[in-house]
Amino acid sequence: MFAVEMNNVSVYIGDRQILKEVTLRTPYNTVFVIMGPSGSGKTTLLRVINRLIDLVEGARVEGFVKVLNFDALHSDPYELRKYIGMVFQVPNPFPHLTIYENVAVAAKINGVAKSKRELDEVVKWALEKAMLWDEVKDRLYDHPHKLSGGQRQRLCLARALAMKPRLLLLDEPTANIDPVNARKLEEAIVSLKDEVTVVMVTHSPHQAARVADYVAVLYDGRVVEQGPAQQLFLRPSTEIAQKLLRGEI
Amino acid sequence: MYSWRKLREKLFTCLIIALSVLAIAPVLHIILTVFVNGFAVIAKAGTSFFTDLPPTPLSKDVGGIAPSIAGTLLMTAISLPIAVTLGLFAAILTAEFPSNPLSLAVDAIAKPLASIPTIAVSMIVYTLVVVPMKSFSALAGAVALAVIALPYTYTYFSTALRSVPSVYREAAFAIAMSRWGAVVRVLIPVARKALTTGVLMTVARVMGETAALLFTAGRFRTGVSFSPTAPADAIPLLIFDYILSPYAVWHQVAWGATALLLLAYLMVFLATKLIVKEVRL
Repeated sequence: MFAVEMNNVSVYIGDRQILKEVTLRTPYNTVFVIMGPSGSGKTTLLRVINRLIDLVEGARVEGFVKVLNFDALHSDPYELRKYIGMVFQVPNPFPHLTIYENVAVAAKINGVAKSKRELDEVVKWALEKAMLWDEVKDRLYDHPHKLSGGQRQRLCLARALAMKPRLLLLDEPTANIDPVNARKLEEAIVSLKDEVTVVMVTHSPHQAARVADYVAVLYDGRVVEQGPAQQLFLRPSTEIAQKLLRGEI
Repeated sequence: MYSWRKLREKLFTCLIIALSVLAIAPVLHIILTVFVNGFAVIAKAGTSFFTDLPPTPLSKDVGGIAPSIAGTLLMTAISLPIAVTLGLFAAILTAEFPSNPLSLAVDAIAKPLASIPTIAVSMIVYTLVVVPMKSFSALAGAVALAVIALPYTYTYFSTALRSVPSVYREAAFAIAMSRWGAVVRVLIPVARKALTTGVLMTVARVMGETAALLFTAGRFRTGVSFSPTAPADAIPLLIFDYILSPYAVWHQVAWGATALLLLAYLMVFLATKLIVKEVRL
């Protein structure tokens, strides 16, 4: 049983093929890292999982995608997304909502909390899990523009967690934040895998080595290698994976 | 070398200031002229300028413009919700489904609609509303104003919605919001400043429109009416008629009405600046 199962998935945007017959399997309750150079199709792959690819004009997906027992390509995307949280490369908390509301809105929409008390508990839990609670507990009603970039990204993680998702998608979540915040975010990610399966995209082999249980190497839209992280880092079997680990591509 | 650079910078600053003053001077001149002439009339008439009927041509008393104020308020109140509602839904449609044939059609129609002469709109509404009703009316005037305002509201609103960075839309979908939920809970609140500015600019546009009312509203100046089916007057119509007349007292009333209209305009713009807070991204 896998949280995400892809068989021969190809994605086209207009005439351009972005993903080429991708096949991969993500075991439950692991951190599964998709690694690859810029433009290899990592973000597109994540967006196939939660069907955000539908928002891309002219996008077409072929193949089979099973996500948490959903036939993802033929399911209602809104229903599917209830079980999948996502953190984007650029921190995007809702600017018109307060810190509290940013987290609460995700819980409310997905019926995670019924009463105000439950909502308060979920907000606190999510902010704690995102390692942000101590920094914002006295200013929950400030707007996110008052937070640093790294804090905003952790707020986005808290928002995703407040949905109580079973799968968490992270699209280079530390790409735009400082090393201290990046470390906190990585710690949060590793601590989460008991409760949720994490699929994370990164172009950094070092980060992948720190957090990953499983790794897939994506290059030019193809998965060139995948397997347990230790095995892949110690004995990469393809030249592309070796070059990627050496930072040559 | 250093001092030449400083001198050049100062010269450039002076040039910018001089050009800015030159650009703003005619506007200031208009505003000052209208206010000096208009407020003298309003001060002379007192509160009766807002509550009385207009004077007869040979009257020594300035009287008031109550029918025109009532008509302007009534027609704005009817036309604005029509233009804002239709404009907002059209803008949501084209922002959310940009490739949909209906969106493309709406976009293609809305832009030329803004350039149709307003007097032509007045004639069309005369044929479609005034003739069947057998009477000029505030409703006919409001329909004409709504038709004129619609392309403006659509353009303001669609620009506002499209200016919201797509990352917020994606974030909304990623937490399982429906498309409608994303529009109502995220897109509209994030764009609220621009949307409200659009509404207020439309108010200003509607209040100042003259030609659209020529064959529709009916220039009712012998009483104050708030009935949509009865003929009505509007401040710009009154200004248009009175300033072309040969009577001195009507010229005075026109100045007072112009000052009032201009004051309303300025208040709308001031309200736009003060009331609505920008969402800081």
